[in-house]
Amino acid sequence: MTAFFDVLIGGVFHASVLFLVAAGLQLVFGVQRIVNLACGSFYALGAYFGISAVGWATAHGAPTWSFLPVLIASGIVLGAIGPFIERLLRTVYKRDEAFQLLLTFALVLMFQDVLRFFWGANPQQLGNLSMSYGKVTLGEVSFPTYNVLVMLASLAIAVALGLFLQRTRHGRILRATAENREMAEALGADVRWIYASVFTLGTILGTVGGALVVPTSAASLDMPVELVVEAFAVVVIGGLGSMRGALVGALVVGLTRAAAISFYAELEVLAIYLIVIVVLVARPAGLFGKPVE
Amino acid sequence: MSTALIETVGVRKAYGDFVALDGVTLAVAEGETVAIVGPNGAGKTTLVNVLTGLLKPTEGIVRFKGDDIAGIGPVRLAERGMARAFQLVHIFPALTVAETIAVAVVSHRRHGLKTFVSLRRDAALWDRVREVAAIFGLDGKLDSEARLLSQGEKKLLDIASAFALVPEVILLDEPTSGVSSGDKHAIMRTLIDAARRAGVKAILLVEHDMDLVAEYSTRIVALQGGKVLADRTPDAFFSDPEIIAAIVGKRVGRLAQDTRLPT
Amino acid sequence: MTRVSHATLLAGVVVAIAVLALLPRFAQPYYVTLVLPAFAYAIALLGFNLLFGVTGLLSFGHALFVAIGAYAAAVLTSKLGVRSFEAILVVAGIVAVAAALPVALLSVRYVRIFFGILTLAFGMLFHSFLFKFYNLTGGDTGIRVLRPTLLGSDFKDLDKTAFLIGPFYYACLVLAVALAFAMWRIVHSPFGLHLAAIRENPRKAEYLGVRVHRFRLLAFLISAFYGAIGGAILAVNTGQADPELAYWTHSGELVFMTVLGGFANFFGPLVGAFTFIFLKSELMGATQYWRFFLGVTLAVIVIAFPRGLMGLASDAWKKVARS
Repeated sequence: MTAFFDVLIGGVFHASVLFLVAAGLQLVFGVQRIVNLACGSFYALGAYFGISAVGWATAHGAPTWSFLPVLIASGIVLGAIGPFIERLLRTVYKRDEAFQLLLTFALVLMFQDVLRFFWGANPQQLGNLSMSYGKVTLGEVSFPTYNVLVMLASLAIAVALGLFLQRTRHGRILRATAENREMAEALGADVRWIYASVFTLGTILGTVGGALVVPTSAASLDMPVELVVEAFAVVVIGGLGSMRGALVGALVVGLTRAAAISFYAELEVLAIYLIVIVVLVARPAGLFGKPVE
Repeated sequence: MSTALIETVGVRKAYGDFVALDGVTLAVAEGETVAIVGPNGAGKTTLVNVLTGLLKPTEGIVRFKGDDIAGIGPVRLAERGMARAFQLVHIFPALTVAETIAVAVVSHRRHGLKTFVSLRRDAALWDRVREVAAIFGLDGKLDSEARLLSQGEKKLLDIASAFALVPEVILLDEPTSGVSSGDKHAIMRTLIDAARRAGVKAILLVEHDMDLVAEYSTRIVALQGGKVLADRTPDAFFSDPEIIAAIVGKRVGRLAQDTRLPT
Repeated sequence: MTRVSHATLLAGVVVAIAVLALLPRFAQPYYVTLVLPAFAYAIALLGFNLLFGVTGLLSFGHALFVAIGAYAAAVLTSKLGVRSFEAILVVAGIVAVAAALPVALLSVRYVRIFFGILTLAFGMLFHSFLFKFYNLTGGDTGIRVLRPTLLGSDFKDLDKTAFLIGPFYYACLVLAVALAFAMWRIVHSPFGLHLAAIRENPRKAEYLGVRVHRFRLLAFLISAFYGAIGGAILAVNTGQADPELAYWTHSGELVFMTVLGGFANFFGPLVGAFTFIFLKSELMGATQYWRFFLGVTLAVIVIAFPRGLMGLASDAWKKVARS
């Protein structure tokens, strides 16, 4: 029984973090039609920067319990790089998708060494900080409170995003631009500002995701390239451009991975790719995406 | 056994509650040039898509040379001998005029899988390409990339490549749209002539320009609200004021008074 | 694209081959050893560009076939005792095509980003298989590749470097020239014309009777074959087949090289392979942050010089021809 709950909590935790990154991907794809290979790089950047931020805060007298808000804050602060990157990507908006993809790949290469330059080649971590919030116990099972907090935070962000997109004027403009850019422009939407803000929001989602995961694992130079594949699995399963898809896809990937690790370690990532392939073949638009070709 | 080259029998196409086509029956025989007319939303595009095997009718049969072609798709349609040229110009932007026509010729000759034969040295291919290009007046532009052509030339190229398939039936979707009025008649004449020379047995024409329809078609099928309103020769068509009013609105003038038989 | 006369083209090719043939004589061994991976990537990229530049399909999983070629060489020499280079090439090619068939059947119905993601997924599927199934594949260390025989001779008296920059170099040169010639014929055949039509406008191609899926599939199979040959050469050169060959970033590098050289030109991938190998080598020697500079190079190419080096050369040629 405990094994089952471990898988459940582990899987949902991982899904929570994945959801954030995938949501960022979906937003950017939905509005700008760009698939951002550098999403993993933002995630890693959030992780490394989060560690530094917590270190800095603790050195300046911040109490141990404050590391969660510090992490979230540092993720948001990193969003400042969003407009600059978007400005760079703007140069290839009108071009073939292949070039946009390649430019984000160039970013991946550049970020690899930026991370290495600032934080070195060795993995970094926050020690046992995730345990400082104690554990939640339900009957026989117990799990770190931190994990629960992250899941709640992610859920809150999901709900907030949903409300933003469905209920606010800005959100509606965003969705309109995603559907039909020219029409949105003709109706007075400032598309350039929309693109910059969407990309920044997407960046922040990624950096916050990375920051939140750090207490439970390490930040390493492998993160950027490894995360991309899982994030892509999520958006493919859920359907490119769909927020609901990001949620469902994240749960599928998170739980599959947790289950695979528990029962048959070799299958860990294999299982995910197999699901991706099956979904793409059976329903190329993903579970919630719009059909293409 | 009907002698129709291409025909539909009681074709109905519904999308849920919306009925795009309702009991459409028509037949095109060898030697005919049939014009399909009607206001926007009458179902012309749907009918054309059914006739060219792109859409499966909800009910009814669509046949080409006696075989059921419901939903067979563009590739198999081309293989069976029907070609289609579109209202919105379809080109291969970076390919030259010669290369574009060559694609059709290679396809027609079923040489597509030849991977080690030199394209450049196939004299018979390029002779045929020149031949087709000349029919449409494009032989001066053989080495121009398609994207650099004028709108009218692109249109001609689109149609020329369809002709290069040596189809038995060709369907032209507003062949003169986007072409200046002065050229319209010239282009229609070129097309009908080229078709005859190329051995095309029947032409289907979707057109809005009633002058052209009156002049060049042997029969007019008028659609309205998904149903066939009329299926007559141009003579009979234009001498019926009710039909004219329904399709073209009030039309006074040369057309209504012209009793000349189309060739 | 400028239509350079065939005589000029032929002359250029002959000169290039002559230079490459004479290289081991007058260049330092270090540079000669760099040419070997350049040959390998040149061949792999010729295959990749048949899919990308000619047919318009961007695969982010081409490294899958490079890895298949490498592991074929490794398994044959280390585990099955087969040392013939010719056998390695044949087996690598066959296995790659066999693996490509299901991948292609599933993938060619999709275009653009979906094709890219699907091929990326297949590539990573293979990578995780190589990485995890230690008993079969050697896990993260991979499998050794022993020196193969060339046309039966094992060149026992030559040490590793002498073998590589000697007989193996010439074998690879011949192979590269032969495969490049074959690809030239393929691209300039009726088949190649149909592929170009599919790239330019798949719908119109269908209306002209071109079976789009079938042709894409065939192009995919051919590209896989070339990828594996390249992989086999790479593996013999390094003496090791390891799972990172199949990682998606390696596929990304393949795209990088092709775009660097120029994907719209037949010689682009060849130029790209050589340029990238030398550029990477120089950068690695100059700084530990060579990835950053490679990234900057790619960004510059994508933004400012999308037609790559051959595009630049073509523009320069046009200016010269006009004056």
